[in-house]
Amino acid sequence: MIERSLKFAGMLVVVLFGAWAGTRTYLAHRAAPTDEPLVRVAAGEASPPSKSDAAVESASGVLPPARVPARLPAFSLAGLDGRPTPIDRWHGRAIVLNFWATWCAPCRREIPLLTRVSHDWAQRGVSVVGVAVDHPEAVARFVGELHVDYPVLTGEQDALDVAKALGVDTPVFPFTVFVDRGGDVVALYLGELHAAEIDLLLGEVTRVDRDEESLEQARAHIDAGLAKLASAPAHP
Amino acid sequence: MQLKFASFAKLVAIGALTTLIFVVGGASPSVAKPWWMRGSPSDDGDFLPPDVAFRVGAHLDGNVIRVRFVIADGYYLYRRKIVVEADSPDLSVSAPALPAGVLKTDPNLGVQEVYEHGVEAAVAFSRFDAGAHPLAIRVTYQGCAEAGLCYLPISKILYPEGANAAGSASLPIAVPGAAAPGSRVSFRPWQRVAILGGLAAFVLTGLRLRRSSRPLPAAGG
Repeated sequence: MIERSLKFAGMLVVVLFGAWAGTRTYLAHRAAPTDEPLVRVAAGEASPPSKSDAAVESASGVLPPARVPARLPAFSLAGLDGRPTPIDRWHGRAIVLNFWATWCAPCRREIPLLTRVSHDWAQRGVSVVGVAVDHPEAVARFVGELHVDYPVLTGEQDALDVAKALGVDTPVFPFTVFVDRGGDVVALYLGELHAAEIDLLLGEVTRVDRDEESLEQARAHIDAGLAKLASAPAHP
Repeated sequence: MQLKFASFAKLVAIGALTTLIFVVGGASPSVAKPWWMRGSPSDDGDFLPPDVAFRVGAHLDGNVIRVRFVIADGYYLYRRKIVVEADSPDLSVSAPALPAGVLKTDPNLGVQEVYEHGVEAAVAFSRFDAGAHPLAIRVTYQGCAEAGLCYLPISKILYPEGANAAGSASLPIAVPGAAAPGSRVSFRPWQRVAILGGLAAFVLTGLRLRRSSRPLPAAGG
């Protein structure tokens, strides 16, 4: 009888130990899947070293999910003429808000597509607005060279702050926010857009604007549509 | 009244197996891909954080600081964006000597020299502080993902391994290995002890049972 009790107690101890070890490992991997934290400095231009910056420690295997706000936050950035331009200038229109930089190759590849979209969708209540996170002079030169005829706002830290307000904490480019005419954020797309993707996204924004479907339905369709496009062999 | 050796070994083996199940199960939490983060046309996964896509470390090799970058598959660094500067006082460094990269043609940016997978920069240096300060360099680099995403230039202070004596204020710099992070499960020492102990107990239990087994009497006479 005593032997049986001891056996039971022993088994309980080892099972509990196993559970504890597993939980500890799970938590350790969830907190820091990368086992080689380097210098703890966040991404960013000439960011100063700081031991308290936990950007690397919190980095997971993929970019952390953006905390996309439900509605487009109010902000104002300089236009190409240097004047502050509030985003609510486009109030009442659906907005394709594209964040880019002149040194970013995929951003530059998107420009002709966005130019075409700005023309094709203008009569359907959609405005393309670029946000160039760069030196204003470089942006102005680039916009002239490529004949970008949709509105472009510029900024440096202030533009990064807007990106952050949109949930993109790690500065990456390009990314594009699709906003319906009521100011609701329908989708945020990270990376280079292609024609099929932007057509899909704008189609869903338009359906939301026409009250043909809810935001949730639009997002489900976007999810399914992007998954289908991602599995396609190549982009046009 | 004593617990038999075989019973104890069984217990340890069960414990070890339980540990293994929890540890392996807990080591790979699945992460669902949220709809608004889709952006990778290859569908090979989401984009990596900059410090996972581009890992950097530095070590001292005689009069040269070797700055090593490990670049994840599907990502690249621009050669002309790699800059190494002195950060600690009374230190001067040369421009980094870099090997030839891969030429990449972009319709907008022209021909660019990039590095894929990894690259090591050799930086000659002179210090005039007689070791009064920890040797520190500032490394700046910028890269992109092939799937169409670029990272803002990244700048880090590195304290090369081997440059600062024990007890100095060196930060934990690791020259990363070739394996991509997350591609393997690493165990801590106490986990190894638990697993190996359990496995040893499992084997010993088997041996013990084998030794104690006796032939059954012949049935039916």
